[in-house]
Amino acid sequence: MTMMPQGAGTTVRGDGAGGATSSLYDVLELILDRGLVIDVFVRVSLVGIELVKIDARIVVASVDTYLRFAEACNRLDLEAGRKAPAQLPEVVGDMLEGGSRGKTKGALGGAVEAVKQSLTGGDDETEDAQEWEEPEDEEREEPEEREEPEEEEQPVRRRRTARRPARRERE
Amino acid sequence: MAVYVYAVTGHDHPCHLDGLTGVGSDAPAVRTLESGKLRAVVSDVAGEIRPKRRDVIAHQAVLDRLMADGTPLPLQFGYIAPDDETVRRALDERAEGYLDALAAVRGCAEYNVKAGQEEDVLLRSILDGSPRASSLNEEILAGDTDPRLPLELGQLVSAEVDLRRSDASAALIRALAPLARAYVVHPPTGEDFLNLSLLVPRDGERPFLDAHAGLSRDAGPGVRTRLAGPLPPYSFVP
Repeated sequence: MTMMPQGAGTTVRGDGAGGATSSLYDVLELILDRGLVIDVFVRVSLVGIELVKIDARIVVASVDTYLRFAEACNRLDLEAGRKAPAQLPEVVGDMLEGGSRGKTKGALGGAVEAVKQSLTGGDDETEDAQEWEEPEDEEREEPEEREEPEEEEQPVRRRRTARRPARRERE
Repeated sequence: MAVYVYAVTGHDHPCHLDGLTGVGSDAPAVRTLESGKLRAVVSDVAGEIRPKRRDVIAHQAVLDRLMADGTPLPLQFGYIAPDDETVRRALDERAEGYLDALAAVRGCAEYNVKAGQEEDVLLRSILDGSPRASSLNEEILAGDTDPRLPLELGQLVSAEVDLRRSDASAALIRALAPLARAYVVHPPTGEDFLNLSLLVPRDGERPFLDAHAGLSRDAGPGVRTRLAGPLPPYSFVP
């Protein structure tokens, strides 16, 4: 198991309180979703942030999940060859070097990458220009030719649904 | 004038807020409002607030500063009151509840642990460990186009993924929960399978961090955790 370095990407200042800096992305849902709510106070409109949150919480319908898992398994073997187990250490090695996240936009990844980019994409210096309202629609760079058109459409359709302004769901 | 509210603290909290600027494009000073045994930490808000990353960071920065001298009750991001008077009245009306809540988190900080598993590593270990899954995969790769094959394979893999994730979650919770005063399991987001918040006593942080650092064995191949904290106790206020 790897411990991800703290403070990668956007950081929240610990103000010298002896605190580790945390990735803003990782504490975002705590700041937006938890904490004290005083009912006589008014919640400001958080349209942009709603979208970010919904994006991060996309749940894929089960059949879609099955098909995507199956595809991911096929792809795995195609890429790695049949001698897969022998290469496992290398795969793990790559992962430790931190290059892995962008590579695997598979069944488990997907939308969260886009959210993350909208959060950490720019430097802190340019944050004024970066509004939540514009989590840019990153191009999905995987239009591999596949026979089944319905599956091909999946990622796109999911993102559209996510984009719809939706009400907050509280747990 | 409308005020943005960051936190509620006890009146004994020093609230060292000098130099901090609050949410909003005009970066107002952060100040406190007193009411009985409580304080609210606020800043003025002019016009409409549009939530920006900068504002979330400003919100969190105020709370981080407060955390240096005690544990406040953090408000969720994005709450404003019409004026100072409303804030004072709100504190008065529920003073007892807030004081109890402050007592419950006193001397503690929240730590958030997220865990995910590298997808390729996970899938490969499932294929390697399940003869049925790997034979299904072979058939599909060999060109069998029967649609039931990928469905069965996916189902099998999906069940296995769920199982491994819940095992890994349970192992992580088992390892960390005893070092915390309380914990909450939040729904995981994105590709993570665990989103765990723990209320850790400040004087127990070292053992907690050591325990977290020592988690490298049990949680399964490709599992990685990310630790955020110390944070204001967002998950442990009413």
